[in-house]
Amino acid sequence: MENIETAKHYQFSIKFKNSLPWLIPVFLILIWQVACNASWVNETLLPSPIDVVTNGVKLFKKGELQENMSISLYRATAGLLIGGGLGFILGFINGVSHTARLLFDSTIQMLRNIPHLALIPLIILWLGIGESAKISLVALGCLFPMYINTYHGITSVDPKLIEMGKSYELSKKDLFTKIIFPGALPTILMGLRYALGVMWTSLIVAETISASSGIGYMSTNAEQFLDMKTIILCILIYALLGKLSDFIAKNFEDIFLNWRVIERGQSNDSKASGNN
Amino acid sequence: MTQKLLEIINVGKSYGQSAVLSNASLSISEGEFIALVGMSGGGKSTLLRMLAGLEDVSSGDIIQDGIKLEGLNKSARVMFQEDRLLPWMNVLENVMLDKRNREQRAEALQLLKQVELEDYVQQFPTQLSGGQRQRVALARALMAHPRLLLLDEPLGALDALTRGKMQNLIHKVCQNKSITTFLVTHDINEAVRMADRIAIIKNGTIWRTIDNPYRGKESIADKEKEVEISEKILAEILN
Amino acid sequence: MKKIKKTFVSVVLLLWCGIAIYGWHLTREDAGNSSLKNVVIGYQAGDEFYISKIRGQFVKKMKDKGYNVKFKEFQNGAAMMQALASGNVDYARVGDTPPVSALASGTQLTYIAAGGTKEKGSGILVHKNSSIKKLADLKGKRVAYTKGTSSQYMLLRALKVAGLSNNDITWVNLDSDAASVAYSKGKVDAWANWDPSVAQVEITENSKLIVNGKTTGALNRSFIVSPTSYAKNNKSLSKLIIKYTEQDMKWANNNHSKLINKMSTDLKLSKKIVRRTVLRRTYSMQEMNKDIVKEEQEIANVFYDNNILTKKIDVSKHTQYLR
Repeated sequence: MENIETAKHYQFSIKFKNSLPWLIPVFLILIWQVACNASWVNETLLPSPIDVVTNGVKLFKKGELQENMSISLYRATAGLLIGGGLGFILGFINGVSHTARLLFDSTIQMLRNIPHLALIPLIILWLGIGESAKISLVALGCLFPMYINTYHGITSVDPKLIEMGKSYELSKKDLFTKIIFPGALPTILMGLRYALGVMWTSLIVAETISASSGIGYMSTNAEQFLDMKTIILCILIYALLGKLSDFIAKNFEDIFLNWRVIERGQSNDSKASGNN
Repeated sequence: MTQKLLEIINVGKSYGQSAVLSNASLSISEGEFIALVGMSGGGKSTLLRMLAGLEDVSSGDIIQDGIKLEGLNKSARVMFQEDRLLPWMNVLENVMLDKRNREQRAEALQLLKQVELEDYVQQFPTQLSGGQRQRVALARALMAHPRLLLLDEPLGALDALTRGKMQNLIHKVCQNKSITTFLVTHDINEAVRMADRIAIIKNGTIWRTIDNPYRGKESIADKEKEVEISEKILAEILN
Repeated sequence: MKKIKKTFVSVVLLLWCGIAIYGWHLTREDAGNSSLKNVVIGYQAGDEFYISKIRGQFVKKMKDKGYNVKFKEFQNGAAMMQALASGNVDYARVGDTPPVSALASGTQLTYIAAGGTKEKGSGILVHKNSSIKKLADLKGKRVAYTKGTSSQYMLLRALKVAGLSNNDITWVNLDSDAASVAYSKGKVDAWANWDPSVAQVEITENSKLIVNGKTTGALNRSFIVSPTSYAKNNKSLSKLIIKYTEQDMKWANNNHSKLINKMSTDLKLSKKIVRRTVLRRTYSMQEMNKDIVKEEQEIANVFYDNNILTKKIDVSKHTQYLR
């Protein structure tokens, strides 16, 4: 009986823990709705959550919402792939080659400290106002976190493991795929997670450069006409997209770094006991 | 008699101004189990790393099979003080490392059986105890059929009970495969329990070697002889 | 458990990629016709080109003449000026202050045409129950404006009309969204602005204009500008654009209800607000003339005198009289 009781208690505490992160957002939304219903706030300045959602549904029915979202998603993904890929390649080259490091690293470090949003006028002058300008801005934002983390990940792989690999006659390719890359992967994935965050912030700004589509456009356009419902809707969409990408990045870590999660004693193999 | 595998001739090693080893000479026969004992920082590991080809000699020569050793010693495998297992690979993958085909897989499983880890092939290193991890490392070293096994204090971090078991296991496996084994240890008892011959490193050189004919014998009289030899070695080192 | 997670993440990723590819497809749709000469026109929602765009006749007529018109929407005049400076936009519809600032910073642009004014919808807003009843009451008050825009010019003119000096009020420089919050919370006493924001604030905030462009002379006129080199080589195209937009403006003046309906959905403003905006202005488009240049020159002078511009501008040197 006692066992069942503790099991129930355990289950309950797991459920409780799982719902804990949502407690504050839900609570805030509730307060917000109540505040609107009780007219504590001016509805034109802060429309109620229900208004925001109905506005979202209206935009969805018109097809505007999903079109803008998918265009934003395209720009974000293309920017991430280009910038993240470039950052990874540069980080990799500089991580393994001392000459490349001497040649590129200080230049990249200098460029890194320029806020990439300050480059908007230059990007407009060089690349115009089309899709390429927007994607480049996102790519520029994603490049540095990926570069720094790849570079750092590769250079900080335990040299003892690399020595082991060399003395066990691993080929250059195996040395990379079996030791250096997996050793750097936790740091690289951290870079990816960071790049995903930068991706969304860059995108909002990118979409103010003569855009006629995208979530960033929707929100700046709404801003011009003080359409608070749409502005708040866009903010919520960004929050959700940000959470979604973070969720994906976190699951990447769980899947690719599964060796990190399992600790001794948590083995699922019943045979693994007392056989020392 | 047995053939010489390795000749270490007047080998010296210095880092900048400070000399770690000088004029060290030792010859190792094929199939022999030799232990190198001495104070920590006395150059034991340095000598081992030179035999593995992980470090160059500053002076003198290491001759293997009549050929001067240069670069990585491909017929040798090292078991390091830390297990140096790859945490992102399971036990089987760690043993196979860069090997891929089915026969090699069968061989790896066979080796894991010999080190009594057949039930752990899918586990990750973080799930294993220190002793288990060193057994994986042993299996990994044996995968390449080395002629020379270099043990760099692999049991240093284990508790006494596990140590004893591991000493027997390593000795048994090496004997079965008749692999020439070079053990570096600071534990004289371990050296006496495992090695056929014990070399003492002192004042930065090989001071002398002592034969250990009693190893492996089970009678009480032989055990006493072992203790005698241990004491003799200790006296040599401290003198 | 691990498998479920893997499948779940794969599904999410697949969906993500699918949607992104759909988005890519959407951006490619207006890739355009190759045999026609491309003309890129920059506009802002609710302006003259916007009307041409929603009416649809403009693009058709231009196509018949061998031009493929691409409309590019911009969020503000400054971004449009950047695009114009880099040659990414051939014609741009702007307010009266951005081209002056752009000229002062060295952008090579030419005034091609002038649109109507928003003189009745541009001015200084106060709450109806405010103690400010006339211009002179502004003395010692806090007034919101946005630096470098028509609102600053408007305010400078209004002070002059009222016989006040620039130091008689507290200038509060805010973006329009920040200003709207500040105004509604009473952090500022008045707000210099223009339609459709004025109409919106009048209706939602129970406010009125104490002065409009008719009194101040800050008319808030629209202009069409073009990069100087482009304007030089495309005079006949410019004439076509003026001719066709003029027709669209006539249509707009005669079809208020259609325009109001469309605008209120696109701008996401209530019909009441849009109606007020539309009814108090007359849409027009015409070639540049001396009077209009004089009007624009006045802005440049006032801005220069108040150190908003660092360079003296001669507007007539940057104007094309196409008639």
